[in-house]
Amino acid sequence: MKNKLRNLPLRIKLTGITLAVNMLVFVINIVLLVAMNNMSDKIDNVYKANLQLNEISISIKSVQDSMVEYLGTKTSDSLENYYRRSQNFTDLVDELNDKVTGSTLGRMERSIKEMSTLYLQEVGQTIDAKRGRNVEKYRSRYEEATKLYGYINTYIYSLNNEQFKENSANYREMLDAFRRFEVAGNLIMIVVIFTSTLLILKLTSNLIRPLRSLTGAADEVAKGNFEISTLPVNSSDEIGVVTKAFNKMVVSIQEYIEKMRESAETERQLKEKELMMETHLKDAQLKYLQAQINPHFLFNTLNAGAQLAMMEGADKTYEYVQIMAEFFRYNVKKGTGTVTIGEELELVDNYIYILNVRFSGDIHYEKEVDKSLLNVEMPSMILQPIIENCVNHGIREMMGEGRIKMSVYAMDDTACIRIEDNGIGMDEETIDRLRNGRPVSDEKKDSNGIGMDNVYARLKLFAGTDDVLSIESDGPGKGSRFTIYLDIKEKRDV
Amino acid sequence: MKALLKRLNSITIFIITGVMVALTGLLIFFFVSYTKTLSRTESDVTYDKYYAMITDDAESSFWKSVYESALETAKEDNAYVEMISNNLSREYSQTELMEIAIASKVDGIIVTAGEAEGMTELINKAYDEGIPVVTLFNDNAQSERLSFVGVGNYNLGREYGNLIIKMANERIFLGNHITVAVLVDASSEDSGQNVLAAGIQETIDRETTENAIKHKRIEVELVPVDASNSFSVEESVRNLFLLGPGNIPDIVVCLNENETNSVYQGVVDYNQVGFVNILGYYDSEAILKGIERDVIYATLSIDTQQLGQYCIDALTEYYELGNTSQYSAVDSYVINKKNVAEYMGEAQNEE
Repeated sequence: MKNKLRNLPLRIKLTGITLAVNMLVFVINIVLLVAMNNMSDKIDNVYKANLQLNEISISIKSVQDSMVEYLGTKTSDSLENYYRRSQNFTDLVDELNDKVTGSTLGRMERSIKEMSTLYLQEVGQTIDAKRGRNVEKYRSRYEEATKLYGYINTYIYSLNNEQFKENSANYREMLDAFRRFEVAGNLIMIVVIFTSTLLILKLTSNLIRPLRSLTGAADEVAKGNFEISTLPVNSSDEIGVVTKAFNKMVVSIQEYIEKMRESAETERQLKEKELMMETHLKDAQLKYLQAQINPHFLFNTLNAGAQLAMMEGADKTYEYVQIMAEFFRYNVKKGTGTVTIGEELELVDNYIYILNVRFSGDIHYEKEVDKSLLNVEMPSMILQPIIENCVNHGIREMMGEGRIKMSVYAMDDTACIRIEDNGIGMDEETIDRLRNGRPVSDEKKDSNGIGMDNVYARLKLFAGTDDVLSIESDGPGKGSRFTIYLDIKEKRDV
Repeated sequence: MKALLKRLNSITIFIITGVMVALTGLLIFFFVSYTKTLSRTESDVTYDKYYAMITDDAESSFWKSVYESALETAKEDNAYVEMISNNLSREYSQTELMEIAIASKVDGIIVTAGEAEGMTELINKAYDEGIPVVTLFNDNAQSERLSFVGVGNYNLGREYGNLIIKMANERIFLGNHITVAVLVDASSEDSGQNVLAAGIQETIDRETTENAIKHKRIEVELVPVDASNSFSVEESVRNLFLLGPGNIPDIVVCLNENETNSVYQGVVDYNQVGFVNILGYYDSEAILKGIERDVIYATLSIDTQQLGQYCIDALTEYYELGNTSQYSAVDSYVINKKNVAEYMGEAQNEE
């Protein structure tokens, strides 16, 4: 029941309250009105008895008059009048009280009734005697009747007086009661109005309370505080609906804010990472610059050594030192940036020469080059590390004669550089590792510091595609094959 | 207001609503009960019998006292007695009142009759109509009255006689000649007064011959008082004091309350206190005060309670048994300076 009431629409609730209170006030008003009406009716009634007595008084006079008239004139008219009037009088007298009552008025009424009956008898006998011409009898009857007439009149007069006295007292009493009732009624009305106002205030405030808490919550939200607890929903009226919607809104806002915060966090982490990478790069660059000092120094000293060897006439030494100087100069000059395939091949030639001097001609190097492709651009320091990798991992660890074949050829618009060795080859795992740019092993020793991962990364960056280097091996002991695919368009004008 | 509202929980709301409903109920109840009180007057009490009482002076406290006693007794028997002259706007004579009572077909009439012939006729007429008549205080022995309730007038006379003798012995009078005036109703042909006067005379005669008062001569005379209308008694009594020195009676015997009051006032007005001695009648407060102040020597009081009661008893008995005793005597007693105090107390208590 209570829930049903709660679920009524707001308009009906408010109307209901107002209606109920109004009804109450109305009922009380009606009761007061009816009571007052009743009282004034009673006050009116007070004088009805007097009216009745007056009627009787007039009636008995008419009876007496008609008797006298008949006695005097003996006309049939007067007789008729007498009969009519006496009947009227009888009717009136019949209505009178005939009980011996506690109140004087009742007893007097009774006396009037009894005397009137007697009077009518006397009058009747008088008339009869007159008609029978019994003069003596009708005279004495007439006297009797007249005496009674006098008594009755006195009684009526006295009763009227008594009644008036009593009625006046009653009237005063009634008036007093009327006033009291009026005061009581007014007081009650005031109390009722006061309490009903209180009731309306209370009931409406009950209705409005969720609205108020909703307003408070909305204020909080407007100030930016989303950390509010959900409002209780007690009803499914308009306010209930709005409260529910508000709750939902607050919850989804909270969720949204949470999401935003999370993504901001990730972004921040990402930025941090980037920043760190940049720091690392800078660090690496620093290290690299430090490392550049050595090649310059080395290159100059080597140059000095070459000149010394020439002056001494040691041509072979001069050539070796000269080539070594060339090699390091390339390193210094083209350490970064773009070079042509030709320059790269030259470096590879120098490197192979140096290696062959070192390892007394162990490596057989073959070249098969499409001269038209020499000007195709490529990143520097690519081929030498690959050769180094071939030498270090492929050839040095195998028995017998090492062979490295370099082929440069065009395939459609692509310039292909293939480096093959006949070394120990690679298993799938190693190939994978190379492809993914992870160092295969400690490559720092005995190298110029650039690993395969670096090579691969720079190639990818240069080409803008992953399919720039393929690494193949037919299995352990069967050598390996590196193929670089370069866009011919990147040709340097000579 | 806000705090007040906050405190209002559903229980208080319930209470408020309850109070309002209760108020409405109270209002309705008040209204209904009030309407009932208004409509309920004395008229819903009814009596079986209706008796009329007719006395010569209905306004005197003596007759009022009798009437009240009668009414009280009557009500016990579910009857109502009415002093019918009381509510009428005109003054009627006793005979007229008798006629009215008979015409009103009352169930019984109590009348201070007297021996007048007209009264006898009326009593007989009532008897013919089946209405029992009780004569009160003054009898009408020749009529068909049912019963007589009163004092034995002869005994009353003897009481007065004894009081006069006593006074003659106690008090000093000028000369040996003591005149006693007995006030009698001139208009009444009542034999009772004569019997009473005779009682006085006989007592005095006997006492004077038998006992001590040898030197004093007591002379009793009946002084008629005109009681035909309301003021005549007072006039008659005044005349008594205008007789001149030596002619004013030494002792005045009053046979009703009205006379007693008039004589008392006259004695005071004409400066006759101590010269004129009063023997009063009845014990109204004024008379008792007179005794206390020594203006009235003594008063003879009749038990008015009995008087009223016996009348009704006679009528009730008549209706129950068909007949009743012809004569009921009520007690009388003397009140003088010695015992006036206790009656004064009673009178005051009654008030």
